[in-house]
Amino acid sequence: MTDTATIEETDVDVDQSRKEAYFTAGQGQLIWSRFKKQRAAMVGAAVLILLVLSGLFAPFLTPYDPTIKGRNPDYQNGAPNIPKFWDENGFSFRPFIYTFERTRSIETNFRWVTKVNRDKRRYVVLFPQGDEYTLFWMKFNTHLFGVDEGKIHLFGTDGTGKDIFSRTFHSINTSLAVGTIGVLIAFVMALIIGGVSGYYGGWTDSILQMVTDAVRTIPAIPLFMAIAAFIPPEISSEGRFFIISLILGFIGWPTLARRVRTHLLTERNQEYVLAAQLCGASSRHIISRHLLPSFTSYIIVDLIISFPYMVLSETALSFIGLGLKEPVNSLGVMLQNVTKADVLLNYQWNFIPVIFFIVLVLAFVFVGDGLRDAADPYSDTKK
Amino acid sequence: MFHFLQFAATRAALAIVTLIMVSFIVFSLMELVPGDCAERYLAFKNTQGNQISIADIEAERARLGLDKPYVVRWGKWIVEAFQGEFGDSCILRVNIAQLLGEKFWISLVICLTSLLLAYLIAVPVGIISATSKSPIVNNSLRLVSYLGLAMPNFLLALMIMLFSTVVFGDSLTGLFSKEFRDADWSYERVLDFLSRAWLPVFILGWSATAFAIQTVRALMSDEVGKLYVLAAAARGVSGRRLLWRYPARHSLGPIINSLGFDLNRIFNELPIVALILTLTEAGALLIEALARSNDQQLAGAIIFLLTASIVGINFVTDMILAITDPRVRRSILG
Repeated sequence: MTDTATIEETDVDVDQSRKEAYFTAGQGQLIWSRFKKQRAAMVGAAVLILLVLSGLFAPFLTPYDPTIKGRNPDYQNGAPNIPKFWDENGFSFRPFIYTFERTRSIETNFRWVTKVNRDKRRYVVLFPQGDEYTLFWMKFNTHLFGVDEGKIHLFGTDGTGKDIFSRTFHSINTSLAVGTIGVLIAFVMALIIGGVSGYYGGWTDSILQMVTDAVRTIPAIPLFMAIAAFIPPEISSEGRFFIISLILGFIGWPTLARRVRTHLLTERNQEYVLAAQLCGASSRHIISRHLLPSFTSYIIVDLIISFPYMVLSETALSFIGLGLKEPVNSLGVMLQNVTKADVLLNYQWNFIPVIFFIVLVLAFVFVGDGLRDAADPYSDTKK
Repeated sequence: MFHFLQFAATRAALAIVTLIMVSFIVFSLMELVPGDCAERYLAFKNTQGNQISIADIEAERARLGLDKPYVVRWGKWIVEAFQGEFGDSCILRVNIAQLLGEKFWISLVICLTSLLLAYLIAVPVGIISATSKSPIVNNSLRLVSYLGLAMPNFLLALMIMLFSTVVFGDSLTGLFSKEFRDADWSYERVLDFLSRAWLPVFILGWSATAFAIQTVRALMSDEVGKLYVLAAAARGVSGRRLLWRYPARHSLGPIINSLGFDLNRIFNELPIVALILTLTEAGALLIEALARSNDQQLAGAIIFLLTASIVGINFVTDMILAITDPRVRRSILG
């Protein structure tokens, strides 16, 4: 009799404490607990973190410099080297690749031909010294792996002998940087324009909305292709990088500005805003202290969702030759030459980076979707 | 009826205001290009061995009307643009309207067909996925739409090219076979066009379909749970009839409204897909004008025409919505 009573009591206690935890949890904790439940989003987040880290540490993880400096002049348009553990000559604990020899003789019609020498093994080594690189403002020259003799090209090489594996990882870095700058610019513009439009309403709102709508009607990529075409060709590659990120930021702002405006329009008629106004708070104070925090989570989700579009727009611009240019590495730059029949027929490994980018974009989409569901306070009750 | 006309007139006026603003943006962009038409033309003459003086440039400027103030030239440009006249291209020295004419219509037909295709697939599929409880259907549709989002059209085009080159030995590019490229329109030319145009239509429709499925699905799942659907079911309406007559009708409105933006998205991808598939239409011409020859007159005209067709679609969808949706109709007709 007493036993059941205590059990019931503890049950109630547990229930009570859980409820209390739920009601006192911060917004961040609530979002995290809902986010954790979605398997696809969690997998996406793990992949995303992995890719971001591999982008950040690309100079260390990849064996060679991605620019023309690190090219292998003896192995142009070379097929991927896949490390092996054993072949007809026996087993080896250390993975190895074969040696390639370039020969030119009367038999090959005096053309350079690459031949595989299966008897001459080259072993994979860890932490070799190689091209110097800068990571976090310090100079290093140790790479994660390499081979004892010559060079290893896991994804093959392109037409000038640059290592595709190294370029792929460096280009993840570029994409993330371009996307981040673009998203930040879009974010600031959207906040200012959407914020002013939504907070003041009336005439200001109508005029700003008309302008936003007009900008939204113009197909963004053709428009920004036009802007990008006017970048003077003599500008440095860093300058170009910055201008392209700026342009991408301009692509994103109208949609975001509209969302900010809609949020503000609904929020500004709430009592807490009125209370703040009655206390004599300035417009700036109300917007930054009361209104913006009320939908920060939505904005963050919107930013993450718009990130892959920035990355893809950059790829598209660079691909047609209006975006980034060598020596900067990005997927678009790497794909510039692949529509040639020669590449399509003979050097298909030039397409390997595409897989990484689809994975990167998919990871972003999954995480964005998961976050959107998690940040929506009604997502539980909807079902 | 009077109210409807009034509504139509306001919408038309709004569309024209939007177009004027767009033309301002486009025209300003054209003006921002370093060097004007006169300098380019004479630079070209210079390469032919003629000696050019400052006076010649000034004379050419006066001939082209470039010495007039900015606003006057903008006004002239927009008045002519509304008549479908865009002047001569700086670089190619031909009339832009003639150069673009057929190519622009081909692009528009391709884009509108892919939009139509996208919705023909998306509406039934979206409705099924919103109402079906089967996890297999739902997950596979989710995967398809995610792939549509993650694989932009131009990457898809590249992949198809790679695949078809490796497997068939033909890259499936171009819009016409060699013998029809410059021929006049005839029955055979149309057939030839159709036999090649399906690929760009499919590629351009790819991510549009993915987006459309998501929209239809989201709108339908919002509506399906509402009480009026339950009430209709309680009255004995069931199955397909229930879905089509009640929730689908409601969710169709926002979809019609978003057609303009879907077209916008397709236009975004058009130039790059056109470049990959070596299509000879307006998108490819735009890239040519921008990336190769810096021909701002031609680029401006193409961007303006693309935007004008989006504004046109928006106007048409507004009208359709006003006629078909009783709620909108009521608010207009009073």
